[in-house]
Amino acid sequence: MAARSADISAAMLAERFEIEDFLRHEVQLLDDRRFEEWRELFAEDGRYWVPLRPDATDPDAESALFNDDRAIMQTRLERLGHPRIHSQTPPHRTCHVIGNIAIQERNPERGECTVRSTMIMADYRVRVQRVFAGHVTHRLRRSDSGYKIVLKRVDLINCDDVFELMAAPL
Amino acid sequence: MKHLDAKTLRSLVHRDRVHRSLYTDPDIFDLEMERIFERNWVYVGHDSLVPRPGDFLTTRIGSRPVVMSRDADGKIYVLRNSCGHRGAVVCVEDKGNAELFRCCYHGWTFKLNGALDAVSMPRGYGKDFDLADPALGMPRAPRVEAYRGFVFASLAEDGVSLAEHLGPARDSIDELVDRAPDGQVDLSGGVHKYMFRGNWKLQLENTVDMYHVPFSHESTVGRGGRQFGRRPGESAASEIGDSGTAAARWEQRTAWGSRQGGHGFAGHQPIAEKLPDNPMFRDYVASLEARYGAERAKEILRPKRHNTAFYPNMSLQALNQHVRVIIPVAVDRTEIHVYPVQLKGAPDAMNRGFIRHLNLTHSAASLIQTDDLECFRRCQAGVGAGGAEWVWFARGVDTDTEDARGDYVNRGTVEVQQRAQYAAWARLMCEAT
Repeated sequence: MAARSADISAAMLAERFEIEDFLRHEVQLLDDRRFEEWRELFAEDGRYWVPLRPDATDPDAESALFNDDRAIMQTRLERLGHPRIHSQTPPHRTCHVIGNIAIQERNPERGECTVRSTMIMADYRVRVQRVFAGHVTHRLRRSDSGYKIVLKRVDLINCDDVFELMAAPL
Repeated sequence: MKHLDAKTLRSLVHRDRVHRSLYTDPDIFDLEMERIFERNWVYVGHDSLVPRPGDFLTTRIGSRPVVMSRDADGKIYVLRNSCGHRGAVVCVEDKGNAELFRCCYHGWTFKLNGALDAVSMPRGYGKDFDLADPALGMPRAPRVEAYRGFVFASLAEDGVSLAEHLGPARDSIDELVDRAPDGQVDLSGGVHKYMFRGNWKLQLENTVDMYHVPFSHESTVGRGGRQFGRRPGESAASEIGDSGTAAARWEQRTAWGSRQGGHGFAGHQPIAEKLPDNPMFRDYVASLEARYGAERAKEILRPKRHNTAFYPNMSLQALNQHVRVIIPVAVDRTEIHVYPVQLKGAPDAMNRGFIRHLNLTHSAASLIQTDDLECFRRCQAGVGAGGAEWVWFARGVDTDTEDARGDYVNRGTVEVQQRAQYAAWARLMCEAT
């Protein structure tokens, strides 16, 4: 539901600004291929999940495009930094746009909130440009050093499509 | 297609090399669909994907769209996905459950076994129009056989039995399914689907190519020369290298290829001899022993084969256990479907681990398969460069031996499995029509 101006407080605006800024920063890191810094945005128990089916509920019960905890991310990123990663020679160039950012749920006890947004990402490599679009859910945990990602889930509208190779997170 | 007579086709395949046109000529591709995919046994799906009556899935045999369905009596059928009236594709979902299939165009309905159920507004048809004519149904694959849940079909009326077709390759299905304490595997844990701009044979050759690993997958080998852990609970896996002890151990692996059938396998990876040691795996071993006894359980767990290619369109892999299905789309375009294999009766956490680890090795965004896909793309882009006629499979050709069946046997990183694939290719493509 859209907010009414009388109900909007400075605290709400500050929270919204911080979250929007955080999400903008996150996709900037991806577009800049600063993957190690991107990984640092995740909490120790954080997870990055891109299901292959709409309405998936349990990440480990079915195949996924990505289902990374921080340890798997580490392996993935080490490989992305390898000089002979053929699937990224040359690398994909990417361009993210995020919008429709909505704070959906707050859990003050855990210091967490759930944020939903819409993502459009184009990538390009060796004469092929693709477009990915999807709904993104972030579960963010507030810490002394700012927000940490507990879960980033990307529901691509073509999640059950047939994909050409990908390498970098969406 | 006058130029593609048997003599010409035979001249394109030598023991140690094949002509580059096999990857680029659309006429050869069309002939392959007809002579390899439509006259031969091909893998269609697994029965765990259609567990209940009414369940169906859609796939392709070569370039032909088909439906695999389970009828009310529990029997599995493979049907051409085409309405008997105007020819529209009847089932559009990847999978589902239905009492009847209904064509969207004029509402004709079909039973799960493909027979015509009803024609809409039937009184409009004249008395000479026979609604019981089997030609009005969704055409059935004449032969469908399953082995331990793996469903194969042939669009040809006659031919060898499935058992004869599979030959010793069938043991790889046993090796996998025997590892399930309940003696059954389950492929319903989702599917990875990807496409590459290359010929289908590039993927088939690669499923049993042990030569490419240190090069194609160099970026997966970390410090200490080991690949990342590929099994649940494992932090480091195979030693991979093109020299030294790692390479020497890989040369000990069995390599086998069936000249007749085109199937082939590579012996187990050295790492597979080291069974995981954690509480989950011990629970699993206990359930195997409870079912089969300690001695048989030990034999079941002894690794034998790593990769098996079932000519022309399926492979099994043991380490990140999965079933891979190859779907040719065009001479320069191929789709691949990869299904994780869960072992019925194994601990839930173990099966979840299999699913999760397969994302890492074989999703479209995985760490291993993506480099293979890039190599296939480059092969297709380069194979038509001109100035050279052949693609080579000569590695180890002088040391191939033959077993009692006349199949090729060798060891290590040889290209014997690919030699077998092309021996079968030549046989199937040149057989009289």
